[in-house]
Amino acid sequence: MSDTINRRLGPLFWIAVGWLVLISLLALLAPWLPIKDPDAYYLVRGERPPYAPSATHWFGTDQDARDMFARTIFGARVSLVIGFVAIAFGMLVGGTTGVVAGYLRGRTDRIVSFVFIVFLSFPSLVLAILITALLDRGLVTIALTLGVLAVAPVGRLARATTLSFAEREFVTAARAIGAGDRRIIIRELLPNVVIPMGALALLGMAVAIVAEGGLAFLGLSVEKGPTWGKLILIGAGSRELEKSPWIAFGPIIILFITVLSLNYAGDRVRSYFDVREIGL
Amino acid sequence: MNYWVQRLTASLMLLLAVSMLTFAAMNLLGDPLFNILGPAAADTKPESLEKVAAAKELYYLDRPLPERYVRWLGDMVTGDFGVQFGSTGQPPVSELVKERFPRSLTLLVMAQLLAAMIAIPWALISAARANKPADRISTVNSFLLIAMPNFALAVILKYVFGIKLGWFPLTFKATDPWLTRVYQTFLPALTIALPAAAVYQRLLRTDLITTLQEDFILMARSKGVGRRRVLFKHALRPSLFSFITVFGINTGTLIGGSLIVENIFRIPGLGSAIVEAILREDFPVVLAIVMIITTAFVLVNVLVDAVYTLIDPRVRR
Repeated sequence: MSDTINRRLGPLFWIAVGWLVLISLLALLAPWLPIKDPDAYYLVRGERPPYAPSATHWFGTDQDARDMFARTIFGARVSLVIGFVAIAFGMLVGGTTGVVAGYLRGRTDRIVSFVFIVFLSFPSLVLAILITALLDRGLVTIALTLGVLAVAPVGRLARATTLSFAEREFVTAARAIGAGDRRIIIRELLPNVVIPMGALALLGMAVAIVAEGGLAFLGLSVEKGPTWGKLILIGAGSRELEKSPWIAFGPIIILFITVLSLNYAGDRVRSYFDVREIGL
Repeated sequence: MNYWVQRLTASLMLLLAVSMLTFAAMNLLGDPLFNILGPAAADTKPESLEKVAAAKELYYLDRPLPERYVRWLGDMVTGDFGVQFGSTGQPPVSELVKERFPRSLTLLVMAQLLAAMIAIPWALISAARANKPADRISTVNSFLLIAMPNFALAVILKYVFGIKLGWFPLTFKATDPWLTRVYQTFLPALTIALPAAAVYQRLLRTDLITTLQEDFILMARSKGVGRRRVLFKHALRPSLFSFITVFGINTGTLIGGSLIVENIFRIPGLGSAIVEAILREDFPVVLAIVMIITTAFVLVNVLVDAVYTLIDPRVRR
């Protein structure tokens, strides 16, 4: 979908954005919404859980009779925060070092580029496994671990984009009127780098959310509370899938729509501004 | 030639850096003594102290960190990954790796073969019908597949083909004959292959469409060569270029994904070994697997470069 330049965002883009806003609002307001308690056991006398989806339990319940819909919404809180914090950290650190390296060139650039290469030639999942295995498995640790992994890809893009702008006339012009390095970077270069980075941020958030799921399947996700990855993991055993497939499929559907929306929105932003450099 | 010397040196430096970082992190952040002996490591009872001294001797824990690193590195280069943490240290890590590695390799090779087998015909069909309804549907499909997380796809395939249809077994037995194990590996391999195939198809399709507009294609068509023959005999080969590159680079990415998929389908390969080792805090095993995966990753990248130079004389330096 990205090989033609399309100067329209299209209705699907707004549907994707709408979904992202909706799921973010649901996650944000979850404790005040009229949904069930994610940690309560809704046992029905004479019937053994898990219960199939019904009018009372939209996504059914798990083996402990906890409401899967409420758990999925509360899981969104953790998964979305991880995705957001991870990519925000990557943007901040990777973006800054990338722009500075691309602007200053020379030795700074060589060192920064080498660090990026080391990170990129390391299978990222292995690094995530290492960090989460050695440190604790709190929300902040997991989010920042994924953030560290985002630094190199984001930084590489920021550096490449800066390089392509640093020699342009408007930068020379700014320098000619006596602007310092700081002013050139912030006022001249940053606005040009921000747009491709925005598209990458959307794609990167999707990658981080999926990465959390992957870690959950390795038993290394956030320890407390439900996350999308952990919810799917609980329903993914052979016996659970056979008897109560809804446990896994509710969260899978929500996760998939969210990741798809992020990918699609990122893809459209990218082709809207005709960004070529993103390779994720 | 000079380029290759540089390239190989850089790769070796990289592996050294990774091994140093991992080794240091394992030893400084974790407590090896505690991992080996459990609570007894902190005891002050004489028999515990004796054990501690024995363990220190056995695992060289009384030596300074750099010395231990060099010792470990020297052993590793000769294929000896040391002993597992634990009271006995048996079996040696190399044995464990020797047992688990072929399964992961089989899974990965099968996945890549499947991906290529799916991607090439798929790309040919959609390039032949570029921008017609069939091609548009396939574009949407590949977009959906690329967005699908591998663990979600694993659960879906397991449910549909393993449980509802019952076409594939859901257990992996190490004692089964080779062919049966390949059959059991099919579903996990397909999980890894489908999104990869979608990526390859996107790429190959674009390149095929570009090639189909070349003069030599027009020439072949005007000589009366059939559409199908032109597609297979004339257009496919020159279009395979970026496909081969990405095919190689992607192998590294797929290694990560296969760790997760192995755990879902309960294939006792390196993926499940690393998870078990992390739970036991058995650092020599974790270290060994990290090094194997990273080495494979780096090697694949160098290989891709080499193959690239071989098939296209234009990039020779």
